[in-house]
Amino acid sequence: MSISLPYRSADDAGNGLPRLSPAPSLLHHRTPSSSRTSLRQPSIANVPATAALFPKPRRCKSQYPRDSSERHVEYILVASFHIDRGPIMEHQYPTAISGDESMLAELMLPDQTHVRSQDWTIFFLHKDTSADADDDTSVSSKKQKKKKKGKRRAADDAQSGRGDSREDDESMEGDSSDDEEEGGEGPPLMYVLNLVNTKQDNTVKRGAVVKAMAICTRHSFLHIYKPLLLLALEDYFKNPYPETLATLYNAVNSMDLSLMPRLSLLERQILQASNCKDMFIEKFEQMIHQRSIEDGAPPDDEDDPPSPKRQAPVQYTLPRDTHEFESKVVYNEIPIPVKIPTVIWPETVGDFSLIKLIQTFSAPHNTSPQAFPVHPHLTTSGPFTHPIIVLVNAMLTQKRVIFLGHNRPSGEVAEAVLAACAIASGGVLRGFTRHAFPYTDLTKIDDLLKVPGFIAGVTNPTFANHPEWWDLLCDLPTGRMKISSYVEPAPVTEGLLYFQQQASLHHYPSSSNTDPSGDNVFMEEIQRSITNRYGENAIRAKWRAYIMKFTQVAAAFEEMVYGASNLFIIGPNEELSPESPSGVQADPLDPTTLRGHGYVWSDEGAKQRELLASVSRIEGWRTTRSYYSFIQDIAAMYYPARPILKPDLHHHHSRLRALRLSAADSGAIYIAFAHAVKDYAGICQLLTITPENQAGLFYLSMGLFHPYPPVREATVDLLERIAAHPAGRHFWAQLNRFAKLAFFRIKRDRDASAQSPAGLGTGSFGPRSLVGVAMGDTA
Amino acid sequence: MGGSVSKIMGKIFGTKEMRILMLGLDAAGKTTILYKLKLTNQDVTTIPTVGFNVESVTYKNVKFNVWDVGGQDKIRPLWRHYYSGTQGLIFVVDSSDTARMEEARSELHKIINDREMKDALLLVFANKQDVQGHMSPEDVTQALQLNKLKDKLWYVAPSVATEGTGIFEGLAWLSNNVKTQPQK
Repeated sequence: MSISLPYRSADDAGNGLPRLSPAPSLLHHRTPSSSRTSLRQPSIANVPATAALFPKPRRCKSQYPRDSSERHVEYILVASFHIDRGPIMEHQYPTAISGDESMLAELMLPDQTHVRSQDWTIFFLHKDTSADADDDTSVSSKKQKKKKKGKRRAADDAQSGRGDSREDDESMEGDSSDDEEEGGEGPPLMYVLNLVNTKQDNTVKRGAVVKAMAICTRHSFLHIYKPLLLLALEDYFKNPYPETLATLYNAVNSMDLSLMPRLSLLERQILQASNCKDMFIEKFEQMIHQRSIEDGAPPDDEDDPPSPKRQAPVQYTLPRDTHEFESKVVYNEIPIPVKIPTVIWPETVGDFSLIKLIQTFSAPHNTSPQAFPVHPHLTTSGPFTHPIIVLVNAMLTQKRVIFLGHNRPSGEVAEAVLAACAIASGGVLRGFTRHAFPYTDLTKIDDLLKVPGFIAGVTNPTFANHPEWWDLLCDLPTGRMKISSYVEPAPVTEGLLYFQQQASLHHYPSSSNTDPSGDNVFMEEIQRSITNRYGENAIRAKWRAYIMKFTQVAAAFEEMVYGASNLFIIGPNEELSPESPSGVQADPLDPTTLRGHGYVWSDEGAKQRELLASVSRIEGWRTTRSYYSFIQDIAAMYYPARPILKPDLHHHHSRLRALRLSAADSGAIYIAFAHAVKDYAGICQLLTITPENQAGLFYLSMGLFHPYPPVREATVDLLERIAAHPAGRHFWAQLNRFAKLAFFRIKRDRDASAQSPAGLGTGSFGPRSLVGVAMGDTA
Repeated sequence: MGGSVSKIMGKIFGTKEMRILMLGLDAAGKTTILYKLKLTNQDVTTIPTVGFNVESVTYKNVKFNVWDVGGQDKIRPLWRHYYSGTQGLIFVVDSSDTARMEEARSELHKIINDREMKDALLLVFANKQDVQGHMSPEDVTQALQLNKLKDKLWYVAPSVATEGTGIFEGLAWLSNNVKTQPQK
């Protein structure tokens, strides 16, 4: 009997979750240069077992298919500062972008461009995808667009002969979930990366020429185009004609990203949280394999005489780090290497640094803290709340936030705005970039003020003189934040009253705890991580966890105050009462019906204190765009993100981490996990809650030392399945030797007892050949 | 030069601060005046201002925060955002550009009729007095119809910004008169 990771088709409504390691035929054809081949040897040795995992080998899809009609870059623009007329648009390619041309030209020539020779800006356009339509964001046009897109995809599939009906369904579902991720509030944003140069030139009137060139793209990784813009703008100064724009346009649009595999939601979460450079390398291999078949090179007859078509057989190479896909853009015969991130979280646009943002506003606060005027939404830890927490609170409660960088390049304020969006979103919440203005100026102020809750970057200090325009002003040169005297006071809400009542009834010792929200400790930890040179990725992961926790705390708050929460879909077999004790089995015959969900506190007092500290900002958040789109996302992502509906893996795993459980309670969790987590998608889900930076599989592996033998064996079964999983094998490899030794000892004992007639096969699975696999990994 | 002396004076008597807004048609010489104030005795070459410049200059015990805003007609509607809190307006006129004097007059009156500018002092630099065919300060006063203004302290100073002539005289007028103004 072989291990079975059943292929699940009903529940993986996402983007085709179950894709295991490459099919056996591919394994022979792997690039020999890959040094990691030996690492994967075990899975090759295990071919009979892996073959059984593939009831149907599935095609790996591209994130950016070759036959897609969506272009990498949609427009190239050139503007200049006319000495009599101010900013004007000079050329647009391939056609004129619709909308207010002079507004675009103003954005392309940021304030004080004349004092520096070069400046970068980023700004966003809210533009529909249909090329002919105007800036029409009405619902009807959006629907049309979706329909169009769906039809086109279906046609694509038919053309390339992937007539599998399930694939079609899946691609449709995948699309819709993609749309959700991109916003769900309208068409995807158009991102504009702009370079402006000022050249002193005594031969022209008034002594200087100021020109700007911009790339408009729907990809959020627009920073990869920077070297190209530098070259092309230089060329444009020499050849100020549309042909220069056309050359750039054609060059960037010939960039080939078609070998970048598309990952499911859970896979993306795993990859992002992992530092493994070869996580999901199998998918990249499969893409190359599929391509070489398409290229008409059947993998087995290598001595085939080269047909004229494949005179120069293209060498497809595997990425050195699966987090990035390497490609190139050939501009004027110069190949320019580019790296495209494999996983892009919503609300992550361009190239920014959370570390830089945090350091900018932490240093002055640490040396000489300044008291903020108290506002319940913002200063959640009193007048000396850390400025970064004030900023995140402001964004969560949809305040008007301005980043001001007087005498700084506009690119710097844009970066700060993008970093702020990422910090508040954590890749979890949405609705920030859509209302962000990474760079803007006085010309747009009237439009800006119509936006409820914006995040804008400016360089003009006159914004500081208008506190009626903003709620929070973040001054980059001084690293100080200012809460406006015009900020709207926080309304008194039901939740607030409820908690005030509770607090007066119970007298939780809140005064003894100076940091009930835990934010001070959190910020100290973040700063320590930065000092200890943890990378940008680690800091982003910590913020993601912070925002995740915020949503979970908010869900617990809603359940407590309102009896139910919009922020959590209760699993089957669980009643709504928040008082129902965690860990009890609703159905004694089904071990997976463990009760309990949501965030885990060490005790009731800790929960009350933390909720009390967060009540204002949670109530402030509950009326915002990001709150409503989060509720939408929960519904849309329910199945893709949660192939295992019961038990709540996250909740029970947190109990293992945070609580001292009795042997019976922890045993129930291990048994439930072993019963519930069986297939590819389920293991992916489990891996998303056991990231490397949170001890990985450590807490699960503790089940190997459980006093009850059935629990130990169930844990062995679970870990065995994880070790055979293409992503899980990396987690298994990182597990400590002590746990691994226990794993093999239990297996050995069980195998021995299974062979002796007296022994009972306690586990639900028979012996299997995986020992060798795991041994190979540890050796 | 006098900067360090006035700094010491400032320490003794306390320095006044004054927010100044400098406007005018494009190519009138605003940026040149600003940098002549800031970098006395240095040659200043300027290029068109994209957006604005702002510098602080301390002169005669008064710290002037001078805002210089680009003058192309398309960006003039933005001037109003700089009004609030402004105590003094410097309006710069190219005295040799007689053809656009009427345009300058109309812009100036738009500014000073704004509610937020009603208490601001008005200093007009009749600039480019070195260029052939320039108008005299009196002619500029006439052309700008300054005599029509009621309840307004104003002064026209002839200047050659590129040489620094007349600029500090204008500033002296501002610092003398700001004392009579209630500090905002």
